[in-house]
Parts: sequence; C-alpha cells; structure tokens
Amino acid sequence: MVQGPIRIRVWDWTIRLFHWVLVVLIAAMWWTAEQGYMGWHKWLGLGLVGLLTYRIVWGVIGPETARFLSLFPAPRRLFNYVASLRSPPYVPSIGHNPLGSLSVLALLSVIVLQVGSGLFAVDVDGLFSGWLGRYVSFDLGRMFAEFHETIFNLLVALIGLHVIAIVAYFLILKTNLVGAMITGQQLRDSQPDKYEPVEASPFRVIVSALVGLSAVWLIFSFGG
Amino acid sequence: MALHSRSVWLGAVAALALTACSGGGEAPADPDAGSEMLSNGLTVKAQIEARQEGFKSVGGEFKTINDQLRSGAPDMAAIQSAAAELPGIIEGAGEWFPEGTGPESGVETEALPIIWEEPEDFEAKVSDFVVAIEALDAAAQTGELSAIQAAVQATGGTCKACHDKYRLDD
Repeated sequence: MVQGPIRIRVWDWTIRLFHWVLVVLIAAMWWTAEQGYMGWHKWLGLGLVGLLTYRIVWGVIGPETARFLSLFPAPRRLFNYVASLRSPPYVPSIGHNPLGSLSVLALLSVIVLQVGSGLFAVDVDGLFSGWLGRYVSFDLGRMFAEFHETIFNLLVALIGLHVIAIVAYFLILKTNLVGAMITGQQLRDSQPDKYEPVEASPFRVIVSALVGLSAVWLIFSFGG
Repeated sequence: MALHSRSVWLGAVAALALTACSGGGEAPADPDAGSEMLSNGLTVKAQIEARQEGFKSVGGEFKTINDQLRSGAPDMAAIQSAAAELPGIIEGAGEWFPEGTGPESGVETEALPIIWEEPEDFEAKVSDFVVAIEALDAAAQTGELSAIQAAVQATGGTCKACHDKYRLDD
C-alpha cells in the first residue's frame, strides 16, 4: 500500500498555548528582574503560578502526550531511542520522544523551583519580597533569594539545551518540532496503529483552569 | 559515515549546552586581605564586615515593617519596636566607609570606588538616609499608619538613591 506523509495531531491547543505563554512570561520575568521592575516581576510571577498549576493538573488529567506518566522514560526506552538516532531514517515519536521527555521534566521541575523560591524570596534591603515572603524570616527569605538567583543559571542552561536540541532535530534529523508546537500537528510517514488524535476535553480544560485560578487566588489573598 | 556524523553532531550539541552552564563564577576573595589597621582601630576587613552586618540588620527590620504594612492587619507594636531599633543600628553610618575599604582592599564588598571619588555626594546621601530613618522612627511611634507608610516610602527612596549609584548591581 502506497501512502504519503500524513499529519497527525500530537499537541492539544492548551498545551501549545501553555508553552508559548511560558516562553513569553519567562522572558518577561528575566527582563523585569534585570531592570529592577520588581512590581511587574511579582505580578507576572503570580501569572506563572496559575500557568504552572494548570500544567501540573493537565499532566494528570490531560491527554496522553501531556501526561507526566507518559513522560517518565524507562531506561530501556531511552537507550533504544538513543540507539535509533544513529540508524536513519529517523522516525519521530508521537508526542515527546524519550530524550525530550527528560528535557520537559527537567525544565518543568526547575521552573517550579524557580517560581516557588521567588514566592518566598526577600531582597537584601528588606524593601521587596515575594508574595509569601512575609511568612519567612529575613535570613530564610535571603536564602530563597540566593537560590532563586542561582537556579536561574540552571534554567538558562536547560533552555539553551532545549533550543539547541530543536535546531539539531531540524537540521540533522529533518524534524520540525517548532511547527508541531504551533500547529499541534506532526508529519508522519504512516498512521501508527491505535492512534487517536490528541484532543483537549473542554470539561477537563475548565477543571484544570479553575485549579490554576484557585492557586493564584490563594496566593493573592494570603500573600502580599 | 552519515551515521557517525549524526552522533558526533548530537554529542557536540550536548557538550556545547553543558559548557553554557559553567563559568560566571567570581574569583574567591583573598582570605588575608584587609588586615591593615584603620585609624578607628578596626581592620579594613572588620570595618567592611561591620557595615555589612549593619545594613543587613536594617534590611531585617525593614522587612518586619514592610511585612506588617502589607498584611491586612498591621501589628503596630511590631512596627514600632522594629522602627525603634533602626536609629541605633545606623548610628555612625557616616563613618562606615573610611578610605581604603573599597573593592581595592581585596575584601569582598559591593561598595563601588565611586564612593571615594564623590565623597560629598555620598556623604549627603548617607545623611539623607539617617534623617529619613529618624523620621521613620518618629512616625512609627505616633502609631499613625498613613504617616508610617509615607515615612517608609521616603526611607526606601534614600536607600535606593545610594544603592543605584554606589553599590555594585549584582
């Protein structure tokens, strides 16, 4: 049977929106911190709390390609995948490949630590603190702030690795991952068995969004 | 050949990404630096550490006051006792930066050399800060929330005025 490349949807619209809003917010967080616009930094950080909470809930009740359980690559899967990179033709995985899954888990964990430490961070002059900074002592808040600054380097390194990997997949493996994260669709030579297009159930989107908004509301009302 | 060049590429990419993580570290300060004696009887290192302790304490008291102001129901007693600590902490702040206690001493400090290049302006800014702190303490003891908020704002402004120009921006 002759079959040309077909497009299959691997990313639901909410995960794509999450990804690009995250990109914009992280860039804005870096910029506001550099410029000392700490008021804005704090509000955008609150937005990140909502966004990340949505992603965490979505990682439990969202579609297959968004789920955390499918992101944990068993060592054998990872090993086989790395071995397959050496023997073309490269067949793209549906959703995250095992290496990409590691990257996503690392990025999400570090971003959660980054935002979480920022909530409790206190500046050296005691003039400014994160939303929950008044629940910790000055010294502990300073430790959170030091951690917040240090772990940002790790985040930058991971983002760099992420971008370099995407360029490498495009140039070497001829796989356009950016396009997939925009359209949600991936080119594939053949339809895999038992493949169902990834969809976002509206009910689950609403549930996840409500949990995200609740987290924002909680921090807003108990913090300051 | 194609097989190998592909894995070489991927390896190079990983190596490049890892080197991006390293670097950016600061040279460790010389442990023996700053042992010279100043005319006030302190070593350079002791003077630098003493003023750092002082500013750190100011930060701690300031946090206490700001925390209370940001909470829905400020604890006036906590604000007043923190504010009352401040004038004592910064007593003599005008003499915290004697000549020779800048980064050229080899001791780790964020004080910039421009402090000793523009001493009049620096001293004026320090004295603005001292005056603002005294006003803050006075406002706190009246127990009037709006007056305290205004005094905190004003004091914060004097901190920033100095830090923007005379402190290393890290």
